[in-house]
Amino acid sequence: MKTKIFITISAALVILVLGVSLGSVNIPPGDVLGIIGHEVLGLRLPPDIKPATVTILWNLRLPRVLLAFIAGGALSVSGAVMQSLLRNPLASSYTIGVSSGASLGASFVILYGAAIPIIGAFALPFMGFIFGLGTILIAIALASRLDKSMENNTIILVGMVFSLFVNAITTLMAALSKEQMQRLITWQMGSFSMKDWQAVYILAPVLLLGTAFIAHFDKELDMMTFGEDQAKTMGVNLKSVKWTLLVSSAAITGSTIAFVGVIGFVDLVAPHIVRKLFGSSHRLVIPMSAVLGGAFMVVCDLAARTVVSPSELPVGAVTALIGAPFFAYIYFSRRASRGVGRRAKKR
Amino acid sequence: MNDRMNDCLLTLDSLSAGYNGADVIHDISFRVSAGENLSIIGPNGCGKTTLLHAIAHILPFTGEMALGGKSTRKMKHREIAGKIAVLCQISGIYFSYSVFDTVMMGRYLHIRDKFLGVPSREDKAYVTHCLEVVDLLAEKDREITKLSGGQLQRVFLARTLAQEPEIILLDEPTNHLDLKYQIELVEYLKEWAAEGNRAVIGVLHDINLALRLSGRLLVMKDGRVQAHGKTDEIVTGGLLERAYEVDVARYMRESLKMWEGVRD
Repeated sequence: MKTKIFITISAALVILVLGVSLGSVNIPPGDVLGIIGHEVLGLRLPPDIKPATVTILWNLRLPRVLLAFIAGGALSVSGAVMQSLLRNPLASSYTIGVSSGASLGASFVILYGAAIPIIGAFALPFMGFIFGLGTILIAIALASRLDKSMENNTIILVGMVFSLFVNAITTLMAALSKEQMQRLITWQMGSFSMKDWQAVYILAPVLLLGTAFIAHFDKELDMMTFGEDQAKTMGVNLKSVKWTLLVSSAAITGSTIAFVGVIGFVDLVAPHIVRKLFGSSHRLVIPMSAVLGGAFMVVCDLAARTVVSPSELPVGAVTALIGAPFFAYIYFSRRASRGVGRRAKKR
Repeated sequence: MNDRMNDCLLTLDSLSAGYNGADVIHDISFRVSAGENLSIIGPNGCGKTTLLHAIAHILPFTGEMALGGKSTRKMKHREIAGKIAVLCQISGIYFSYSVFDTVMMGRYLHIRDKFLGVPSREDKAYVTHCLEVVDLLAEKDREITKLSGGQLQRVFLARTLAQEPEIILLDEPTNHLDLKYQIELVEYLKEWAAEGNRAVIGVLHDINLALRLSGRLLVMKDGRVQAHGKTDEIVTGGLLERAYEVDVARYMRESLKMWEGVRD
């Protein structure tokens, strides 16, 4: 297990360096490390590196790659939490509509500048969080009304319908403000281009603190995968733990989405692969989802900006191209194993 | 009188409970003392499971419930969970854990306040002991999704024991078990309850198992207690027939006839 963790973290680091090094201008990995050493530790810059290269790397590429990593990590951690809380491997912020809600909130800020004086630069993540949380509450309330046990796919279906509805509101807003339409639609598709260090400075603590906080509930998450009743009779303070986890995962998703747009499926794919590799224990699932989800997002962003270079694909389209078939695969493989007796529950 | 109250592990006083504001069970009162098991029986839909869920504090209830003479309304959730454990029937398992890790979850209340929530040597030893009891120590590193239904139910029994409760509630746990393990489970729980200040309260679908588990029966019908007393009194008094609306004794005798020719 230790070897697996070591390999995964090393692979993530290599991907980070490659992500920074590859692009419209390729910068050799050695130079990448040289420039980072120069900027961070004040080491002397290797003489053969041009100032333009330093600018590209430090001002454009590094923040972009770091932001991709942070966003991927944050989304995956919240995806892992949703899956365990709802006991459904298909649940994630994207599939139950949190992402759409957050993007609606962010659209308000982008279009109308929603002046919230005190929080300033935090208006975007704050609105993303509030709207994301609102969406998840409504989706769960609707789903539990339709299907008390919430053990089947009702929640996914409700989430899908609900997120289509919320998306329609966002689209309507975009259509009503013609001059901003293009900008909003591009943003909605999800992208890491044109992002500077500010987003990194705001989101990095969100990811680190959020993951650490959520990881603290590893035992409770483990127990809740067996069902809320069982967790409760084993001593979990169900209500408070459940709400704390829902709110904190909506917080990290909402604030991330608000910065980078709607990027789906990473939060579904990464935790799933982590569980296959490391087992279900949340002591590992939570931190490793952050690492693997981050690395996965860096790769997707790399593809988004290099495949049709010099033009760019929206990264949300790349993750969906990989994620949607993956979703179908999990859905149908689950259906195939449905017949197992232990799945049947009688009341 | 006070001593008797303390002997009383569980006291229910005119308890009612149900779903969405409508009561399913009404005015249930009984006591369970240490070493004295109780089987709750009755036809489908009589409210057995609802009663069990209310005792487990999964469902809210009106009326009074006391553990060891202390009202559960004055107890924290964790204190109650430390005394009552539930062994239920196997339901959806979507995420897999090792057998050992699953049983360790039963130790939650014992380890949550330890440094970084790391299980101590005693916790590990206790989990190992519980796995020995259910004869699954050899399988401790296997994934629970790879186990048979019977093995899985024994893992859950071990997890229940790992909680070190005073009362174990059985919510039809024998549904996926082979006959051999059904009998073993009931026999083991009887021994467990006899060992100390403990009791088992069971909802078992099979009447024979229910009779085997306990010397006392609580017969329910339409959400109310129809009869409550010593097993033999209830069986001979024809009370089962009234609850189930079928001649239980005749059915049992007829079944028995088939076995009469079989040598021991």
